Amino acid sequence: MTELLDKGSAPAESPAEAAMPFSVGRREPRRDGEAKVRGTLSYVADLPVPAAAAVGITRSTRPHARIVGIDASAALAVAGVEAVVTGADLHAALGDRMYTGPAFNDQPPLAVDKVRYVGEPVAAVVALDVATARAAADLVVVDYAELEPVHDVQAAIDGVAYVHDELRPSAVFGDLKHLAGISGTNVNYEYNLVDGDVDKAMAGAATTAQGDFWAPPTHHVPIELPCTNAWIEGETLVLLTTTQTPSYCRQAVADMLDLPLNRVRVRTGPLGGSFGAKMYDRLEPLAAALAWTLRRAVRIRATREEAFVLTSRHGVQVISSMGADADGNIVASRADVRYETGAFADVGPRITAKSGMVAAGPYRVHDVHVRSRCIYTNKPSAGPFRGFGVPQVTWSHESLVDELARSHGEDPAAFRRRNLLREGDIAPVGTPMHSADFVGCLDAVTAAIGWDRPLERPDGRYARGRGVAVGVKAVLTPTISNAVLQLNQDGSATLLISTVDMGQGSDTIMPQIVAEVLGLPADAVRVVNADTDVTPYDTITAGSRSTYHTGNAVRLVAEKMRDRLLELAAAQTSSGRNRLSLVPGGVQNGRTGEITPISDVLHRHFGARGTTLTEQANFGTAWEPYDKATGRSEKVTEHWFAGAVAVQLLVDRATGRLTIEHLASAGDVGRAINPTMVEQQLSGGAIMGLGHAVFDEMVFDQGQLVNGTLLDYQLPSVRDMPHEITSVIVESPHRTGPFGAKGVGETTLIPVAPAVANAVRDAVGVRITRLPLTPERVLDAMTEAGVDL
Amino acid sequence: MSEIEYVVNGTRRAVRAGDDDLLLDVLREQVGSTSAREGCGVGACGACTVLVGGHSVSSCLARAVRYDGAEIQTADGLPPDHPIVAAFVQTGAMQCGYCIPGFVLMADELLRENPRPTKEQIVAHLEGNICRCGTYAEIIAAVELAAERMAATR
Repeated sequence: MTELLDKGSAPAESPAEAAMPFSVGRREPRRDGEAKVRGTLSYVADLPVPAAAAVGITRSTRPHARIVGIDASAALAVAGVEAVVTGADLHAALGDRMYTGPAFNDQPPLAVDKVRYVGEPVAAVVALDVATARAAADLVVVDYAELEPVHDVQAAIDGVAYVHDELRPSAVFGDLKHLAGISGTNVNYEYNLVDGDVDKAMAGAATTAQGDFWAPPTHHVPIELPCTNAWIEGETLVLLTTTQTPSYCRQAVADMLDLPLNRVRVRTGPLGGSFGAKMYDRLEPLAAALAWTLRRAVRIRATREEAFVLTSRHGVQVISSMGADADGNIVASRADVRYETGAFADVGPRITAKSGMVAAGPYRVHDVHVRSRCIYTNKPSAGPFRGFGVPQVTWSHESLVDELARSHGEDPAAFRRRNLLREGDIAPVGTPMHSADFVGCLDAVTAAIGWDRPLERPDGRYARGRGVAVGVKAVLTPTISNAVLQLNQDGSATLLISTVDMGQGSDTIMPQIVAEVLGLPADAVRVVNADTDVTPYDTITAGSRSTYHTGNAVRLVAEKMRDRLLELAAAQTSSGRNRLSLVPGGVQNGRTGEITPISDVLHRHFGARGTTLTEQANFGTAWEPYDKATGRSEKVTEHWFAGAVAVQLLVDRATGRLTIEHLASAGDVGRAINPTMVEQQLSGGAIMGLGHAVFDEMVFDQGQLVNGTLLDYQLPSVRDMPHEITSVIVESPHRTGPFGAKGVGETTLIPVAPAVANAVRDAVGVRITRLPLTPERVLDAMTEAGVDL
Repeated sequence: MSEIEYVVNGTRRAVRAGDDDLLLDVLREQVGSTSAREGCGVGACGACTVLVGGHSVSSCLARAVRYDGAEIQTADGLPPDHPIVAAFVQTGAMQCGYCIPGFVLMADELLRENPRPTKEQIVAHLEGNICRCGTYAEIIAAVELAAERMAATR
């Protein structure tokens, strides 16, 4: 049963709307709404490309093995097969440049010498059509010599075998240089956060809580499948690909092929969802290597089964404890965090640090030790996933805080409220808090589900409970955004940015920022799809960074355009520059009140129709790298995300099944540029988080993924929606955000799973430490605890 | 290869299909209807939904040759002012948008069979379609709005 989205306490318009009546804060409809509804919007696989060969991929059937030989003769004999390419072929052509990756150059597009997970590409069959390519890929015979597989983080730490012979840091992250050449380990990165004396504080605590938590590997499952086209145009390699990171892909491919950046062009379309699945090195290196070495246009389309092993969310073990004093103040927090990054590091080392720095939770706690490690195993590579590793550590600290509150004998919401970080407080990582209203979010969600009303706790089959959890995440810092704005002579504007709209609505809100500054209707501004030949460098569309970073570049470029226009208008009249201002409709003379349309100003300036006025702006953020020993920094991030979730649910004592009666989420977004888009991010993130609480899990058996189809991997459907969903926008404006705004893409996913587990704890008295909370797991926990079924 | 014919959104289209070719691929590659999309390849997500004679079919599982002569409706064939399209647009029932045409066609099928469905009936009819962005509440609101408007003009 699903209820209409309850807007909760969110106002119809953003509160500051009266002050900024024009475009920012308005519920502008999505620019591409009708095209999305009728399906006429073109995604990457729908766009025209030169006639291309299809690619079928032969994949490893072993988790860890030497490649002894590859026999492609049967595949090559199939009519329509043009070529079979192996890792050895690519190595002969490209050398070690074929290894790519954002943190370590450990990722070959096709395995060379050895395979590191079941499903790793071993050979690529290039054929006239996809059916032939895929069928022939099954005919490639690979001879393996098995190696000891590393199936989990404990085996990896124990060193039963080594997934990589040595660590090879990439040039992307300069701070990993010191790891080059290290061998005899599966730990590719370790981050430590140390403040105070946690042992002493824990020993002196009046109450403590501890646990061994597990969040399994999961998959993003954007419904659009990955697709990469690559071809040569003149002297340029062109990629048309499903990616959140066009600028990164251009650099990675240029490095691999040893080409200058201006000979690699990466184009994207709107994405049919991504959530972190389509970034860094996915299909792009293989497509580029094949197109370049074969001099042939190629198109790689992943099947759903293939998409499941392209990347995943890290499975994470957290062994942790927290302590509070007799007054209920949290005094100690300790966590041993183990990120299972699979066969390739991908961006795991960054996840390990960024999540480790918040693993103590958003609380005023001074004695802290977090040890966070990124660990290779023989599984598909894990990479970024909405939340960037933070949901997994939040699973630990929000479960522990709940137990602390109960031991202390205090309401879990009140206990959190007393301990939460406030404006100006220094987080355990050493950075001050600003524009991170945890208390406001907590109060919003508890109010939404009626936390203070007595809970009706029925006897019999169904037990009812409530739970709450809070989340904190730092925005990716440092990063860079650029924006180019063309103001056309007719008064329309074309915005060139490399932000990729994958459903978050950037193509709608970035025009609102331009419109606000220039007094244009938002629909007079159009965003160009990211294309590295056309749109300027942008670090990535990820980590909830675009509203703040790209939004600031867009605000700046619009302000430059406003100033330029006013100068031109001033030169065209006898009025001084300071008498003129931009208002809806054009340039207004403050003395006469006369408004001159922008089209007239530009026509007079250029003396021609159809002309364009161009401005560009850059916006970047800086950080203070954390201290290697303590992990602390006075500015580890540009800003913080604060969110909270509250849940009321029923536990079926007979089956262990959970029924969510109310799911309320809140996020501090600084300022909502478009409240409708923000609410959809809040509710969408919470629903994805609900999936992670009760469904999402990639199940492996001896390194083999056994549920990698949508028949087997359960996702939330309309049937699984809470009876009531409330999304609350909290606004504590950021001092340097564009109109006070920050991002929101991940905020509400982060605290959902512990909020659900805390509600189960409240309902039936059992603490479950392993996700997801399947009916079997809930029943097992109840049986083990001797709860009356 | 067989020479066959579909009537897609009211227009006759001659296509060629082998025995193993899928309706989804023929619609996308030969007819140019890219509103039907592959999401899972096993009929479990609904992104490839089309209506054949008014009934929903997972085109990623459907053999193309079976549908010789069939009347096929795709989402891109619905006019922009179609009440279901208008209701989805008005309620903001889309995020990335990839899955939405499948929901629109399921809604069309439902409202033909049952012009005033209850919320439970809407849920029952749409539960085979997946929206990973989590736009379900808006989608249900859109179907309710469309039903209301279509009833008012009936």
